[in-house]
Amino acid sequence: METKQTYNDKIVKAFLLATIGWAFVALLLGVIIAYQMAYWQANFDLEWLTFGRLRPLHTNAAIFAFAGNIVFAGIYHSTQRLLKARLFSDVLSKVHFWGWQLMILLAAVTLPLGFSTGKEYAELEWPLDILIAVVWVVFAINFFGTIAIRRVKHLYVAIWFYIATVLTVAILHIVNSIALPVSLLKSYPVYAGIQDALVQWWYGHNAVAFFLTTPFLGLMYYYLPKSVGRPIYSYRLSIIHFWALVFIYIWAGPHHLLYTALPNWLQTLGMVFSLMLWAPSWGGMINGLLTLRGAWDKLRTSPIVKFYVAALTFYGMTTFEGPLLSIKSVSALGHYTDWIVAHVHAGTLGWNGFMAFGVIYYLVPKIWKTKLYSDKLATLHFWTGIFGILIYYISMWAAGITQGLMWRAVDGNGQLVYPDFVETVTKIVPLYQVRAFAGLIYLIGFLFLVYNIYKTIKSAPSDQPEEVFSAPVIKNKKGIEFIPKSHRHFEGLATSFTILVLISVLVGSIIEIMPVLSLDSYVSEGKKVKTFTPLELAGRDIYIKEGCYVCHSQMIRKLATDVQRFGPASTIEESMYNRPFQWGSKRTGPDLARIGKKYPDAWHYKHMINPRSVVQQSLMPNYPWLADKKTDLYILRKKLSVMKNLGVPYTKEEVANADILAEKQARQIAERLIISGGVNASVEDLTRKEIVALIAYLQALGQKAINPEGEL
Amino acid sequence: MSDDKKNDEVLLLDHDYDGIKEYDNPLPRWWLFTFYITIVFAPIYVYYYHFGPGLSLSEELDQNLVKIEAQENLTQEQTKKLSEADLLALINDKQVINEGRALYNKNCLACHGAFGEGLIGPNLTDNYWVHGDGSLKSVLLVISTGVIDKGMPEWGKILSPKDLQNTTVFVRSLLGTNPKNAKTHEGTLIE
Repeated sequence: METKQTYNDKIVKAFLLATIGWAFVALLLGVIIAYQMAYWQANFDLEWLTFGRLRPLHTNAAIFAFAGNIVFAGIYHSTQRLLKARLFSDVLSKVHFWGWQLMILLAAVTLPLGFSTGKEYAELEWPLDILIAVVWVVFAINFFGTIAIRRVKHLYVAIWFYIATVLTVAILHIVNSIALPVSLLKSYPVYAGIQDALVQWWYGHNAVAFFLTTPFLGLMYYYLPKSVGRPIYSYRLSIIHFWALVFIYIWAGPHHLLYTALPNWLQTLGMVFSLMLWAPSWGGMINGLLTLRGAWDKLRTSPIVKFYVAALTFYGMTTFEGPLLSIKSVSALGHYTDWIVAHVHAGTLGWNGFMAFGVIYYLVPKIWKTKLYSDKLATLHFWTGIFGILIYYISMWAAGITQGLMWRAVDGNGQLVYPDFVETVTKIVPLYQVRAFAGLIYLIGFLFLVYNIYKTIKSAPSDQPEEVFSAPVIKNKKGIEFIPKSHRHFEGLATSFTILVLISVLVGSIIEIMPVLSLDSYVSEGKKVKTFTPLELAGRDIYIKEGCYVCHSQMIRKLATDVQRFGPASTIEESMYNRPFQWGSKRTGPDLARIGKKYPDAWHYKHMINPRSVVQQSLMPNYPWLADKKTDLYILRKKLSVMKNLGVPYTKEEVANADILAEKQARQIAERLIISGGVNASVEDLTRKEIVALIAYLQALGQKAINPEGEL
Repeated sequence: MSDDKKNDEVLLLDHDYDGIKEYDNPLPRWWLFTFYITIVFAPIYVYYYHFGPGLSLSEELDQNLVKIEAQENLTQEQTKKLSEADLLALINDKQVINEGRALYNKNCLACHGAFGEGLIGPNLTDNYWVHGDGSLKSVLLVISTGVIDKGMPEWGKILSPKDLQNTTVFVRSLLGTNPKNAKTHEGTLIE
């Protein structure tokens, strides 16, 4: 029997409002740190405003707060309608909403304070990781519960993409976050060196795939045909590109690690699978754009359609550029430069941002039962946004390629033309200024949305009854139109469908990750390195806390000009005890893999207090607080014992005496700084300072070979 | 968009999801072709680089490094050929000193001070020498090969022979200037 039910749209409203709020935060943070790249003074020497701490907050806010909330809003709204069923549980919906906002709020507090795992796009510490996992499971129960009570036999393509999202993000997050806690807000990952590199980029790349791509394709498949009133162009294309995407995407992670110490076979897999991703990605764009056939006039009249079309175009651009950048020789030029920054922002600002804005402009009036306050203002937002993205993209593209070419320029003597790293940075600072301005433009465009939506909601009737719908009856649960071996039949079997998605994403994951889990098979006995001393480990944790990895790599690639500039190529063994690995993904400053012993301690001291005292044109912020704050030496025993449990070969004596050993080493450095470095402080005082531990760590980088005469 | 528009209505499936319908248009041929090419490319690439004649990344690097090292050696030979007399002939050349000053300010100032008074590195204005014998040639060699243990970089890998020469000449011009805040003497006195 048909029954009358209502949709839970309250939760959709909540997620929509959260989207708008967090989008503002994410964009504002982006503009702030963009200005810090252009003008290093822009952190006002406040530690919690430095680039190293705010950049993780910016990325987390953009991905998990802005994109996350719009995805939840869209999924909850469209799923109910596509399945003709109210959400499985109102309580779970609420828990999901508040749990997620709580997580973001805690992230916004802990990241600026320096509580970071140092893992890109997964910087949150372990209690927050657990919170994310719990909230995600709540979401999954709510989502799959709704599928279970659906009143429509077949699952629409949007739902397929949602299924892939819910499943895969859970797997990615849990596998990538496994760690042993040291304290409430500090942990060490179970993966080390190349393992960690591989797992993190398997996670990082697929966060892009399954958090920023598949759910947005799902949204596109619902909201685009809804907005233009046209049928989807090709059902067949949606089947092929869905399965191809889900199966192939998961393999592509290693393309972030080309020319590094990662084993060659993984780099090759990463590259060839990235190339294979090109067509499946474009399948989504083609299906979206061709759905507009017969409705192209709406592109002129409707700002919403403008946003969708531009979003799909940016999606097409980035998914072409992605495979391109995954070709080894292209990566050799683009990796570590702003080209990558250009690439990801075309994706986030163009594809994710514009899809989100389109959905917001469509959904808010619909769900608040009113009309959009101003179409003109929305159109103005569109053009402002486009303008912002284009300047952003072009400036960073130019910056990246310019710097990449400068890094590799060699003269007739076989010497680097720009041996001074800072020269290659100074050259592109004007482009950083342009980029910051572009970000500001995009933010201003977004403010038009805020005002428009505010006026729209204000104009809504105060009476907001839930939308009533009639839930049809599925006559035969076992399949009304049984066509053996057809995909159509399969679309009616939600459980089997889900299991096949699961298998698709597990195949690539297992084949790539399993072999590397036995790190020993990749480590040659003769090239093994020494463990970090307790003080160096303390220094390493300060390096992580300050987010040094967002601007400095620790990976000299197998490229002649990398070797000329920074020293012999990094080896697998050199990062075998690195938890987490700190190879980095961007060189705003030089590589640090072999910085150890390159400069005297006093150079580092001066450089930390004021980088410009030794490198006149440096962009690096001042870190004066490192000379004020004390290193917690006592916790080192705990840290070493956790490391020992993870398999790092510390002796019992080292663990038991960690703090004493650290103090001893620190005292030697402090004495050197005072006697020959002209630092004005007492030995007692200086010994305990963070700066001393950090110097110990930096001086150890590339200096850990057991047998320095060997190949290292 | 080569697709035949007339066929649309035939291709409309009876799917209906909250009012959304679907066509069953065929896959665009150029799209499918692109997909096939990338799929076919994969095993060929894997074969060539992992089982065939293709060089691994390390082999490629080694080959390139050999070439670069050969060039670097040539450059170093050039530097070594400069004699004490060659350098002495330049010590009054204003142009050389000015170029040397610019190089000094860029590369040396951070550790040896704005006036060669010594800071992290030793004083360059006195007659005490930690490395070398005080001759121009020995200064040139210290700059060129560096003193890695003490944090003096190997500038020969970074600067051209001419730049090394100009820096050396400028450093000599600092001798006996008695700057303020000069660092205490280090090394042996050589008159």
